[in-house]
Amino acid sequence: MGFLDNSGDIILDAVLTDLGRQKMARGNFSITKFAVGDDEIDYGLYNKNSPSGSAYYDLEILQTPVMEAFTQTNAGINYGLLTNTATDLLYLPTLRINTKGLNNTVRPPSTMRGLFFVASTAADTTNKLIAEGVTAANHTISNATTGPAILLEAGLDTTDINGTAANRTTYLLNTNLVDNYYFVYYDNRFISSILGPTPVSKFNNTVDENGTLELSPALHNSPRVSTDLQLENYSAARVRGIMDGIVYNESFGTVDTTLSIISGPRSTCTMLNVEINPNLSTEFSKFGSEDTALPGGLVGAKFDFLDTILYVQGANTGIQTQIPLRICKYKSG
Amino acid sequence: MAVVNYEPLGTADVTTTKTLLHESIPLTGTILSGTYGTLLSGDNIKNYTHGMFQSVYDYPYLSSSANHIFDLTVGFNASSPLSGTSGVTMESKKINMYNQFSQVLLGFTGSGNTIRDFELDTTLDQTGSMKESLFINFSRLLYKDEIKKGTVSLVLGTGSWADPFALTKTLSDASASATAGTANTMGGDYGVLYSAADDTARGVVFYQAGLIVLSTSSWDSIPLFNSGSDYGYTITDSLVSASISGSCDALRHRIKNISFNNTTEINSTIYFCRIPSNKYNYSSNPTYISSSQIVVKNVASDTPVSYVTTIGLYNGNNQLLATAKLSEPLRKDPNNEITLRVRLDY
Repeated sequence: MGFLDNSGDIILDAVLTDLGRQKMARGNFSITKFAVGDDEIDYGLYNKNSPSGSAYYDLEILQTPVMEAFTQTNAGINYGLLTNTATDLLYLPTLRINTKGLNNTVRPPSTMRGLFFVASTAADTTNKLIAEGVTAANHTISNATTGPAILLEAGLDTTDINGTAANRTTYLLNTNLVDNYYFVYYDNRFISSILGPTPVSKFNNTVDENGTLELSPALHNSPRVSTDLQLENYSAARVRGIMDGIVYNESFGTVDTTLSIISGPRSTCTMLNVEINPNLSTEFSKFGSEDTALPGGLVGAKFDFLDTILYVQGANTGIQTQIPLRICKYKSG
Repeated sequence: MAVVNYEPLGTADVTTTKTLLHESIPLTGTILSGTYGTLLSGDNIKNYTHGMFQSVYDYPYLSSSANHIFDLTVGFNASSPLSGTSGVTMESKKINMYNQFSQVLLGFTGSGNTIRDFELDTTLDQTGSMKESLFINFSRLLYKDEIKKGTVSLVLGTGSWADPFALTKTLSDASASATAGTANTMGGDYGVLYSAADDTARGVVFYQAGLIVLSTSSWDSIPLFNSGSDYGYTITDSLVSASISGSCDALRHRIKNISFNNTTEINSTIYFCRIPSNKYNYSSNPTYISSSQIVVKNVASDTPVSYVTTIGLYNGNNQLLATAKLSEPLRKDPNNEITLRVRLDY
């Protein structure tokens, strides 16, 4: 994957992907649409303060070398360009995992930052994880529909705009920047389904009009959809986005940002759990570890575990984040 | 990740085209004899136990780096005076080789449905027959889809055995072109190779088959076409008494240069990807925002800007079938429209 020669005329380097060649061999190759992407661009290089004027703001970006096209489908366009008819948007939403430690949500244990644990329903796994310091607030239980769950929030994560209901309408609803659904991409060798919110799931601080949290992760299996990440062994599920009802109100006793990971107006949130593939067996030795103590564990219990990543993407805005998961099954000790 | 915004491609956005690509193929005599061994043998020359032809590689053929470049063989028609001569070495195989090329390229004719003779003209009237021939059969790696008409040139040594290139004959198909000077047979188009010095036909070239058929006439006048420590043959004697590979060795010894242009036919589909002014002005690239604010803007009224580096072509199921990369980012904002012409070659 070399860089393309950018010393002269603009050239376009096009290749068929693996899938394209496969479709061609099978006689069902039909291109019907296109999309554009900017994966190589670091917009942080856009220098709005260039002393030479606006013509020089993007000088460094325009000099970005671009790699040759390559044939893996998953590496085509990771970050697509977006269409929004409004030209006066100043803010775009972001998707973040809520790690505020709210009841019925999970966050990574302090000894293994960044890893979200999922416990197998096998005997003693939950108890042994808790004994090892992976508390009930640090792991979900496979296929549990009442929580705890991984809570993700979308919205404008800025302190410039208060997260009021009015600002939500102005900056998100009126500009079509709300995701009512999210796509969750998961490794179907390890995970058999994704659990997402039901219509009765709730996350707000307005129920008592005093800032008290109402969080109800009622989950159910979400439908599998054909939109795929085009990563080998990955499938996609479509989960509901429910209204993120955390709002800023100066009269509330609890500040909104103690409940929400988003600092400004919130759009929707989603709650996730997974159902571990019940037939997991040799996968632990092939892709993870068997009969191994957790790093930083307290009593030396041993687990079979393997690590995988969930990719979550807003269906409307394309905002995305990754959730590193560790699937654990108690083994011995 | 899956892309969120797609743009449909209508029938007006897709067209097809055909392009012919030519490469110059020069083959020097040193590769044919001498570079990879002593005269008449070499690690790049492969002979077979059946003895019906000889293969020439561009490098010692036992190496995985070697490319097969052409085969050589000789033969004569069953109606040739050489046929039936007493003591003909490998007679049936020489006739078989001639017949095989002839039946594939020229076919059968007449009330007896007999195999055609190769002819030194384009009239196919059974005059000017080459009843004894030497065949140079190029690998498709070299000639690709076909040899370009009017580009074939051979320099053949007609000097003594010891110094074959003291005298040379240059054969070319200069009279052939894409529109004239060739005949069409069941084996494709062929043109005549003329000797530049005396304007005499000395062979033919089949363009689509990648085959040169040489008559023996280039060497009729020399006493030693093929020689060794205990033998010396005219070309006719060589076709009678020498094995096929022995005559092929002698032919290699007398090839100074071969050159031609090959042709690759490229069929392309061109997709005109039109990006309108009011679309694709924002990005889902994580670096596009900082604290949720678009980094290319100071205030809301600033023009949104994005940069295009990649075009993905998808089917109806959102599956990526082809990718194209621009050599440098293109700025996209509401004040411009971009049409990108993506060409896929087959």
